[in-house]
Amino acid sequence: MAYNRYRYGPPALKSSVDVQLQSAFSDGNWSAVIRLAAKRFATLKDPYYEAIRVSTEAQLQGTAEKCAVLVHVDELVRSKKTPDIDTLDLYEWACQDFIGYEIDFAETFGPLRARWVKANASSPMASSCLQGCLEQWDLVSAQQIAATLDKTYANTTDRRYMFWNITLTFLLSISPQCTEASRKVYSLLTVRQLQKAADITENSEKLEKTDRGLLTEEEVCLYYRVLLSHGTKEEFLARLRSPKLGAISQLKQGHKLLFCECLDALETWGEWDTIYELCRDALKLGLDGSTTPFFVCDLRIWKMFVSRALDEVQEVLKQFIELKDKATPMYKKNISLALLETTFKLPSTTINPDHEDTALSPKVVQIGLFLDQYYERFAAFDDVKGYVAELGYEEAKTFLEDVLPKIPGENPTKAQQIIIKALECRLRYTLTTCPQTLSPHPTVVEGTDQGKPFQCRVCSNLAKSPCEGCLRKLIIDAADAHRQITSDKELLAAIPKLDRDPRLDLALVMGNSLLKLSGLRPGLPNFGQSLWQDVQPDILLQAVLLLDTQLKVTPNDNGLRLLLVQLYLLFGCASYAHQLWAPLDVKRTIQDALSPLFFDRISSISPGLFQGTRPLMEPLRAYYTQSLRDPSPVRIWDAFSSGSYTSILDMAEYDKKLRTSCTLVMTLVEERRATRLFGGKLDVDIDDHILASESPADIVEDTTLVHKTDYGSFPSLESANGPPIQEFIRLGPGPSQYLDLLTYTPPKDYKPSKAAEAAARDKAYALETLTRINTSLTDLLHKPSTPKLLTPAETNYYTALSLLSALVLTAISLPKSETSVPKIVSQTTQPLKTTLTTLRTGLLSPKSTVPATTQQAISSLCDMPSFASVRDVAFAVKLSAAFVLSHHEKETARDKSGKSGLHKEVVAEMKALESAAAKTLGEAKGHVGVLKGVMNESGWLDKLLDVVLGEEDREMGELTEKVSEIVEGRGGAEEWAGKVVDGWREGVKGWGMVKFE
Amino acid sequence: MANFRRFRPDDLNKLSKCNLDPLTETYELSFYLQYYAKWPSLFQVAEDENGNIIGYIMGKLESSPDVYKFSEHYLPWHAHITAVTVAPEARRLGIGKLLTEQLEAAGDAGNAWFVDLFVRKTNCKAIKFYESMGYSIFRVVKEYYGDHSTDPTQDSEDAYDMRKPLKRDVKKEHIRADGEKHEVDPTDVW
Ligand SMILES: CC(C)(COP(=O)(O)OP(=O)(O)OC[C@H]1O[C@@H](n2cnc3c(N)ncnc32)[C@H](O)[C@@H]1OP(=O)(O)O)[C@@H](O)C(=O)NCCC(=O)NCCS
Repeated sequence: MAYNRYRYGPPALKSSVDVQLQSAFSDGNWSAVIRLAAKRFATLKDPYYEAIRVSTEAQLQGTAEKCAVLVHVDELVRSKKTPDIDTLDLYEWACQDFIGYEIDFAETFGPLRARWVKANASSPMASSCLQGCLEQWDLVSAQQIAATLDKTYANTTDRRYMFWNITLTFLLSISPQCTEASRKVYSLLTVRQLQKAADITENSEKLEKTDRGLLTEEEVCLYYRVLLSHGTKEEFLARLRSPKLGAISQLKQGHKLLFCECLDALETWGEWDTIYELCRDALKLGLDGSTTPFFVCDLRIWKMFVSRALDEVQEVLKQFIELKDKATPMYKKNISLALLETTFKLPSTTINPDHEDTALSPKVVQIGLFLDQYYERFAAFDDVKGYVAELGYEEAKTFLEDVLPKIPGENPTKAQQIIIKALECRLRYTLTTCPQTLSPHPTVVEGTDQGKPFQCRVCSNLAKSPCEGCLRKLIIDAADAHRQITSDKELLAAIPKLDRDPRLDLALVMGNSLLKLSGLRPGLPNFGQSLWQDVQPDILLQAVLLLDTQLKVTPNDNGLRLLLVQLYLLFGCASYAHQLWAPLDVKRTIQDALSPLFFDRISSISPGLFQGTRPLMEPLRAYYTQSLRDPSPVRIWDAFSSGSYTSILDMAEYDKKLRTSCTLVMTLVEERRATRLFGGKLDVDIDDHILASESPADIVEDTTLVHKTDYGSFPSLESANGPPIQEFIRLGPGPSQYLDLLTYTPPKDYKPSKAAEAAARDKAYALETLTRINTSLTDLLHKPSTPKLLTPAETNYYTALSLLSALVLTAISLPKSETSVPKIVSQTTQPLKTTLTTLRTGLLSPKSTVPATTQQAISSLCDMPSFASVRDVAFAVKLSAAFVLSHHEKETARDKSGKSGLHKEVVAEMKALESAAAKTLGEAKGHVGVLKGVMNESGWLDKLLDVVLGEEDREMGELTEKVSEIVEGRGGAEEWAGKVVDGWREGVKGWGMVKFE
Repeated sequence: MANFRRFRPDDLNKLSKCNLDPLTETYELSFYLQYYAKWPSLFQVAEDENGNIIGYIMGKLESSPDVYKFSEHYLPWHAHITAVTVAPEARRLGIGKLLTEQLEAAGDAGNAWFVDLFVRKTNCKAIKFYESMGYSIFRVVKEYYGDHSTDPTQDSEDAYDMRKPLKRDVKKEHIRADGEKHEVDPTDVW
């Protein structure tokens, strides 16, 4: 949908128009308007009345009347005369449905408005013409208008005209709206204009508002943005140190933006010397009173500053430490962290020449000193995690054994002790992810590979990474601490007064450790194919049970909740995951970053969710429809009129990214997949609406989709040495695999026309579409990055589609008379048949009889994404074969000569494929039936609990016992088991509604 | 643990630590961007080491629209706090206060009379927070919110309109001691 300036009504008519016509117009009484306007034109000969008539006729339903206005617009454009502004407004209103389709704003109204402004530059209407062009994101016309305005208002106090011109010239210099050559010219022009302005500022004693120099923070920052994009690094660096426009001088004026942006640029260039000097000078401004003392006391600045082991650093830091008492706690903490950072940056010989190898190193001491002040605070663990992970093995040991326990002093309260214990457990977990706790060990012993390439330095056992022995011990210790809390009334009463519930931290340690022990690994090779080949379900489910139990105690912890949402999705319990997801109330703007955490691949996990009363993806769809409705970035005119030039640039960039957001494409794809599963008609509306400005083909072929999933709230116990926990539990790679389906129109969507003469057109259309699908899929599958982006199930599916499109293409273009059938036919049918067979036997056969064990049933329940791909592949084969065969029948019926129709062998192959697909679909349907039957059996709660906690009369292993204690045994876990089983039942019920024929 | 800087649109992808908290409202894109477009320097964030936003303030500098010039509820040139929030993990470190002080300084620099804001009557934490910085209740806006944050049986909640005088208000003409007794309707605030 194109932008509609007149969404809220037509423009006002000229005041010279008589009352009768005015009121007919404002009442929307179009037939009266048309009649009256024609009459006035006849008597007054004023072409404006003709324009009223033509524009009003465009409001009528008939196509001829509706389109007449287009001819008038075209004439105006060609005439090169200055148009009348009120006529333009009327025409633009009349053309609102055509803009972006039949006519291009940038070739019609944009240039007309620019032409008008040129002739009427000092009219107050001129800025509204600029606004009109900006709202249509016609940068070429907008820049022309801005240039005219700049000339007209040069050296007035309204400085915006000058900077509109510059900003728009810059936007053009990076825009696809003009040619490469023009972009070069525009970039030179912007740099030159701004350099001139910068020189004026540097050279004038005091800049007046009417001077064409750089005055405001926004103007100065615009200059640097342009330099960064089109200037040289040398120029940038030189200006950065200049007395008036330099970053330090801007800081003195209270402007921090430039300073922050410069550090970003310098960081990417690796200009560490300059960074160091800038940070030093900026910090000193606070000390000498040129700014408020803590103006730049950000952790980032400190980290950049102390990266130098210089006396100067110590000196500045010392002065700030002296000021510390006056600082707000936040800055105090930043300064403490800066001190810690310095200790880690200095070579150990400098700070402690005698004790180089001792365990109680200055690093350990500093962490201790930091924690002395902060161990009870919420963020203590996150603050020190990275530093502890950097300690050598001996240091870490000393820290955990000798330093940490003493932190709460001589007579700690019970609560303080338990806080320390929780901190210790978390840090021990972090250390299991650090290489210094393991030493390499020959893995082949007496000719057999032990699969344990390390010796753990903590427990001395042979180990993999992470050390399973340590994880087990950690679970037992954390469980004991957890137990201690829950059995102590005094401790329980103290918890609400603490910054953070230590039970939560202990549960996270146990949960994460169990997840690792279960065998989960990031991007398991057979991920999605069968999770359970590599993962022990009992341990995985124990982790989930334990974490779920904790969520009941701390329901407001969003990190824990998100972790659980993903875990439930991982084992196919989508409706319960949805129940946990809903209270997070992810809505409006934050959906783009957070929705993939729940919705990614959801249709293949649980299509039943799409059958609820409210369409599942509606809020997402509404968000994009609203935010991307107009061709211009949302609120862009506000930024122009307020003179916020850096905002303009950032908003334009943000808009571009949002239009190519992975989450947007995910929204479309998941809905379409679900629709297809239920055999519904595909609604192409959304791509028409949102992606209209960029043709979908652009998105498919060249666009890199922007992936912005926000994992910021996930609990993070891991060190930087390994992947974060979300990589272990994610259902397949991140969402970026959605490229193809946008253009993939399944053959059944073609509407074969009955008319004989349309047959050729239909065929041509089919060939064209198929070629496009084939090319884009082949490209996709051959990209080196693709395998990393797809689950095996998805790879199967896309490979099948690519083969199918090639096959159908050959099938319908191969002349019947051809004697030799091209190889491509067997080259495609054979692998397709094999794929179908593999999928059938691989996934279905072992489980399509009544599952022998509960675990087997559970495996199937968790494997629905693979199952979905079986169904999709078979369905695509079936539809394609049906399409080819019906084409054949139609052709034979149409042309009785017997020359048309398809090659006999092709027909035979297609029939074979069709029946293979039907067989697979039949079995798939049967599979759902079996699952349904299994789920309806009684005793599921017990069966599940047997898997998780072991059978009732059997002895439990130590870990299971600990978990069982925390969840209060089978009785305590029953409610949870009920929810999981219900979740699975719901899921299977949803699959029962899916179409298989 | 934190950096202070101006908001930029990419931060919208990093809001989970703040916005998943039930007391922090999430708005449509155009709402955030309107502030970023018109008052970019009054939209400040605190970020953690990983780029997550752990606090932000969104404000504006304005007077009531001219059409209300003669209304008794007309507000002269003032700064307004539209949203301030700090992630639970970063509370009580003075981040909220620092963000608010920045806005107050901008208000003083822009020669505003006072800073004002609306807060739910039941949001005791936030009310204490504002009071600690010298804000006081100026009036009560009846049923300002369309839902109730603590009582699901109610379908509305009153707001306190709180204020702090800025330097320009030397005589403290824009605050009052008995603000709690002054009730207005939502239609009286713009
Ligand atoms: C209100 C809020 C912004 C405060 O942020 P903060 O960074 O924790 O506040 P500060 O650390 O700057 O607190 C400054 C002073 O306010 C007062 N204060 C803050 N939180 C308080 C609380 N929970 N209880 C009592 N007083 C409190 C204290 O006097 C504090 O000074 P002190 O810590 O030296 O005693 C934060 O709690 C929050 O984001 N709440 C949820 C969102 C919200 O309600 N926003 C307001 C909507 S109008």
